[in-house]
Amino acid sequence: MILVRDWRRRTPKGLGLQTTIVAAVFVIAGHANAMETTALQAKIGYCQDCHGSSAQGYRGYLPIPRLAGQQTGYIENQLRAFIEHRRTNNIMFNVAHTLSPAMISALAAHFRDLNPPPIGGAPRELVAAGEKIFQDGVPDANIAACAACHGPQASGTGQIPRLAGQLYPYVIKELMNWGKERGQNPTVPDTSAIMSPVAHSLSRSQIEAVAAYVSYLK
Amino acid sequence: MEARQIKNSAHGATTRTVAQLGFALLLSFGIGVAHAQDTHPASASAKDVQAKLAYCEVCHGVSAQGFRGYYPIPRLAGQQPQYLENQLQAFVEHRRTNNIMFNVGHDLSPAMITALVTDFHELNPKPLGGAPKDLIPVGKKIFDEGIPAANVPACSSCHGPDGKGNGPFPRLAGQLNDYTISKLVNWTKERGQNPASPDTSAIMAPIAHSLTKPQIEAVAAYLSYLE
Repeated sequence: MILVRDWRRRTPKGLGLQTTIVAAVFVIAGHANAMETTALQAKIGYCQDCHGSSAQGYRGYLPIPRLAGQQTGYIENQLRAFIEHRRTNNIMFNVAHTLSPAMISALAAHFRDLNPPPIGGAPRELVAAGEKIFQDGVPDANIAACAACHGPQASGTGQIPRLAGQLYPYVIKELMNWGKERGQNPTVPDTSAIMSPVAHSLSRSQIEAVAAYVSYLK
Repeated sequence: MEARQIKNSAHGATTRTVAQLGFALLLSFGIGVAHAQDTHPASASAKDVQAKLAYCEVCHGVSAQGFRGYYPIPRLAGQQPQYLENQLQAFVEHRRTNNIMFNVGHDLSPAMITALVTDFHELNPKPLGGAPKDLIPVGKKIFDEGIPAANVPACSSCHGPDGKGNGPFPRLAGQLNDYTISKLVNWTKERGQNPASPDTSAIMAPIAHSLTKPQIEAVAAYLSYLE
């Protein structure tokens, strides 16, 4: 698992530890109040421009993923991966590298609590095959059951992402391009490595089936 | 695949002749099939075993150390081969309930199973960790001494003083604490599911039943740090 640097441990030089802690508490409390009213709302509105009015996702020039209901550990990991260029995406790099750790936590918590219906649109005839792959895996092709890690309802847990309701073209794009987009710093291996063998083993049609299945899950 | 047997018709001579000719034809096919069978190696190829191991490790973690997926997925590294074989058999026969492992297990040839359990036994990564350390002393006491007042024998008596197991008794050393807890709490809901075919899981049923949840958590924590 990647090491998450704890930003809160940094203290300014020259101040006593206790003074710093007291000051930090006031600053963070003040920030939390400010964030709830203005800065956070503004940032949420900004995310929604691309990710949809309730973060349900959007088919822009590229498919822009659903963030609603997403695991906070996963969102935080991805934002960090964008910032550190371990995950390649110029737009998201620019989005992420201006965010403070407190803002990241607040955004992740906000998105986690949203629950719009999936936007749908995937070919329905693929769903049955996708369900089988998701729940049972494809043992003779050495493809693990997605449900083992993502859960039987594709809700994810901790750092493992929710897939339920994710956009069909987005899931396809991610699985088809896994090794080209993620884990881009070989000297800093990250949790994206777990998915590499899976993404590699799945055929295009299996990917489409799984993507269709999860895209309708609530 | 075995050559199909043809039942000789009990009807008239002509029918019997036709049947015999047909049987001869099929026998030659059967021999052909059997011959093809002989050219397939009795053991799984190294490449297939490596591919299958990589597949297992997607869920069971790097070097099969275990992984916290949606469910806690157990460490297989250093596990007793006989225990692994028994569990795979139990999954396939639905004596142990797990849909994902049923699908994994029923596809494996005996040669592949032998290769896998041997390879897993040789792996030795550090324990994944993560359990509350303050529970260790209580867990160690239960593991070493049992709980005589509750008729719980010392775990060490079967699992070994180092928790590495023996033969059909599984290694517990380094097992994920949340996995161990889940198994002990749910023992009879998951194992021994065919009353017509009782299995060795019955040994653990009274023990799992007698342990309280705090005792289970303590033992699980202790075991999870053993190397």
